[in-house]
Amino acid sequence: MAGEQKRKRKVMIGTQVEGVEKLVEQEVDEDSTLRWQPREQMKFLGGRLPRVDGPVKAAAAAFYTCDVRLPGMLYGRILGSPHAHARIRSLDLAPALRQPGVHAAMSAVDLYRTLMSDKQQRIFDATELRYEGQPVAAVAVETPEQAEDALRAIPVEYEVLPHVVRGEDALRPDAPKVFPDGNLEVLPPMCCEAQREKDDPSQLSAAFARCAAVIEAEYRTPSLHHCSLEPHAVVVDYRGTTATVYFSTQATFFMLADFARELGLKEGDVVIDVQHMGGGFGAKWGMGIEGRFAAQLSKRTSRPVRFALDRRSEFLMAGNKAASWQRLKVGADREGKLLALEAEQYNLGGLGPGGSDRQPYIYEVQSARAQLYALHTHVNAARAFRAPGSPQSSFAIESMLDELAFRLGIDPVEMRKRNLRDPAYQRQLERGAREIGWHRRAHLPASGALRRGLGCGVCRWGGWGGPGCVVTVEVARDGSVVAKVGSQDLGTGTRTLVRAVVADEFGLPMSGVQEQIGNTRLGHSVGSGGSGCTASLAPAVKDAALQVRLAMAKHVAPLLRSEPEQLIFADGRVRAGNASMTWKQACASLPSAGVSARGEWKPGLSDGMSQGVAFAEVEVDSETGRVRPIKIVHVQDLGFALNRLAVESQIIGGVIQAMGMALWEQRVFDANLGSTLTASFNDYKFPGALEMPEIVPIIDDGDTREGVMGVGEPPIIATVGALANAVFNACGVRVRELPITPDKILAGLYAKG
Amino acid sequence: MSDPRSEKPKNPSRRRFLAGVGLAGAGAALAKHAHGFSGKAPEGVRELTVPLVVNGKKRAIKVEARTTLLSALREHLDPPVIGPKQVCEQGACGACTVLLDGRPVNSCLVLAADAASARIVTAEGLGTPGHLNPVQAALVEHDGLMCGYCTPGLVVTLSALLEKNSNPTLDQVQHACAGNFCRCGTYPRVFESALAAARAKRGLGGLQGG
Repeated sequence: MAGEQKRKRKVMIGTQVEGVEKLVEQEVDEDSTLRWQPREQMKFLGGRLPRVDGPVKAAAAAFYTCDVRLPGMLYGRILGSPHAHARIRSLDLAPALRQPGVHAAMSAVDLYRTLMSDKQQRIFDATELRYEGQPVAAVAVETPEQAEDALRAIPVEYEVLPHVVRGEDALRPDAPKVFPDGNLEVLPPMCCEAQREKDDPSQLSAAFARCAAVIEAEYRTPSLHHCSLEPHAVVVDYRGTTATVYFSTQATFFMLADFARELGLKEGDVVIDVQHMGGGFGAKWGMGIEGRFAAQLSKRTSRPVRFALDRRSEFLMAGNKAASWQRLKVGADREGKLLALEAEQYNLGGLGPGGSDRQPYIYEVQSARAQLYALHTHVNAARAFRAPGSPQSSFAIESMLDELAFRLGIDPVEMRKRNLRDPAYQRQLERGAREIGWHRRAHLPASGALRRGLGCGVCRWGGWGGPGCVVTVEVARDGSVVAKVGSQDLGTGTRTLVRAVVADEFGLPMSGVQEQIGNTRLGHSVGSGGSGCTASLAPAVKDAALQVRLAMAKHVAPLLRSEPEQLIFADGRVRAGNASMTWKQACASLPSAGVSARGEWKPGLSDGMSQGVAFAEVEVDSETGRVRPIKIVHVQDLGFALNRLAVESQIIGGVIQAMGMALWEQRVFDANLGSTLTASFNDYKFPGALEMPEIVPIIDDGDTREGVMGVGEPPIIATVGALANAVFNACGVRVRELPITPDKILAGLYAKG
Repeated sequence: MSDPRSEKPKNPSRRRFLAGVGLAGAGAALAKHAHGFSGKAPEGVRELTVPLVVNGKKRAIKVEARTTLLSALREHLDPPVIGPKQVCEQGACGACTVLLDGRPVNSCLVLAADAASARIVTAEGLGTPGHLNPVQAALVEHDGLMCGYCTPGLVVTLSALLEKNSNPTLDQVQHACAGNFCRCGTYPRVFESALAAARAKRGLGGLQGG
């Protein structure tokens, strides 16, 4: 390699821009020297590893942010706006401050103004409230019970303004304007040459003219909620010149600058800590208004302050998935090859831009044009939600593909094979079809009360690794091994993989390695998003561990009368030919400071672009309209699966959330009141124990790529369309608006006659 | 339209409830166990000293009468008992499940006063990281947990099930878990874990822990 020019390579890296996950392209050095060791030399990686934090979680010894209770800590609570659109005429904190236990109260207006320049203050009207639940004030109180009283004691006079919370209402000419420029925002087309060529209108109409079948249809997906069981939670412990912030966040390091700014401290004087977190699914990125309140109130009271959002606030102010409307006109030739697509995609992200993947999503279409719009309403801004934008677009195009296949008399699996170039899909479609018993499709009961059907869908996700993690591995003379990783464990198994990478490098048992994670003192790290954490982190851990092993080998080789490169670290021993010593003996030979090394991400160890397919079998009760999922198969490739047990769990979890989107979940608004009717766990239906079908997660071992990639997101995509298609196959009703509730099935059956 | 939050508190529901039927109920429970109310309370707020028996330990706690058992355990006891999680606040999700005299209940729907002197067992009381009970051990082995926030509630629910039924069917396990929500989607592996725990327990004998 010496003398050769450093090769460059472009990778996609998941990042977060204004609360929304995006992939950006970065150029990195191609370092071809670092590879995972051969699989047979690995005892843990590639195996089925129970979570190392399993025992503390199962015995409730794991401390989440909500469990942090510091001496003298105050409870923060937020008063939310009861109106979708209003202006605060007056607000009096004094009565709240007279309530027992109340140490401080602060209005949102004061909070917004805290860090605003005079000019910003002139432009931004902090008294205008633009969604139900928008924070109006917050209190810091001695007990949670007293905090409720304190909120009730704040008199607020609202000037109620006209609101619009539903997309269809927002499009009306007389609709109240959410933003001065109106409610409909035309999003710029993607600017790349290929796209412009495809956008050529004359080409598109010529392509439609060549089609054997053209279908126009509109698909809709509702707004959904993340529903992490642990709410957004933060404890700020401000100590004058330093501060410790405990935060349930997917991005420990993104918080550092924000909290330092909010508290008026240097980044070096602030520590962010997250030991365990109770889910995020994309909703836990920024510091949030609750984080800002916590910082300001801790500063004012000189006491630690904890904010844990109540469930209603979680629904109203802390995260939802953008709804979408997608008008598609798609044509295919006699063989089912997609020739032309025209799409209008409306992203309903409330006050935010929302997002849906540009059609035709992952399919190859000769001529395609998609126009995207953001349609704004008085609803809190949508946040990133597991595979942001993909489930919405996947549902629409998978449904459309099925409609075309049905029209043309082509088998749906065959239809997909003809329109997907990647050989991985061919392999996975066959595997999935075999597992679900696709051959039974023609013979399933299609009449009578209970009807069965099969459907399929496909997905794709980046999951690339990238630079950003700095990991330290330390070996002490007593043989103890510590891996220091700043990254949080979202519940995906980060702790376990950190330990496994180090254990395999040193030939130690898992119990021989300790991991320290989730703290900004431990070394920079990327966020848990874009399925990028594992692929970014694992290579950095490997890099550090490898360096330590090489350094140790130098110390130990002379003792075994061997050369450093001859040493083998395995089974808790260091070997050179027939000579060997225990790990502890080897470590005893180290200098008093032990050996440590800092590792960073290396491209040879990670990869990206994972493919998956889902197959679903459902039973439709034609008398009640109820859809019961029977079995779901998800086949997923992901390069080198570090922990197959955890990967399978991720797949199962994604499939279950997709099932919720397809069949049950939706945010419902009262258009007149402007309020959300589904802001509780009793009103917002997500999958529970009784709805569980058989779920078969399959890791596609036909994928021989050696790099690691993330797999958190793709499993939530394909199942949505697969279920909708299975419902059509079962009862002949094509439901184009999610969720597929009994009323829609019954209406469809009635219309069919 | 007047905003209910803009008015001074008159009769917040829980307090009104206590002033009527509930307080009598709480009083009855206390009387039964021969404990009284503490005299001093801030204006308009009743404070009680409630004896709790948590995971085999007697602990007295001074709380307002409206305090839920969940809040008492997590936010008033020192050191706190963190197994029961506050998630939905309305008895929907089961994350705050504890055993009350052997019966699984949502501790967010029980007043601390009503739990006076009853035996309260949380996930902490059923096993420790070093000595997991069969349900906890199976959840770890079968990856029946991911983020782990629903786990302590499920541990309590399933441990109670196995006390009652040492050989449950999958259907019985599913029904037992119907009141425990998990958003990561661990359900299938939770069921697997419960069935494995039942097998292990039949082989091993009684449930460990308190």
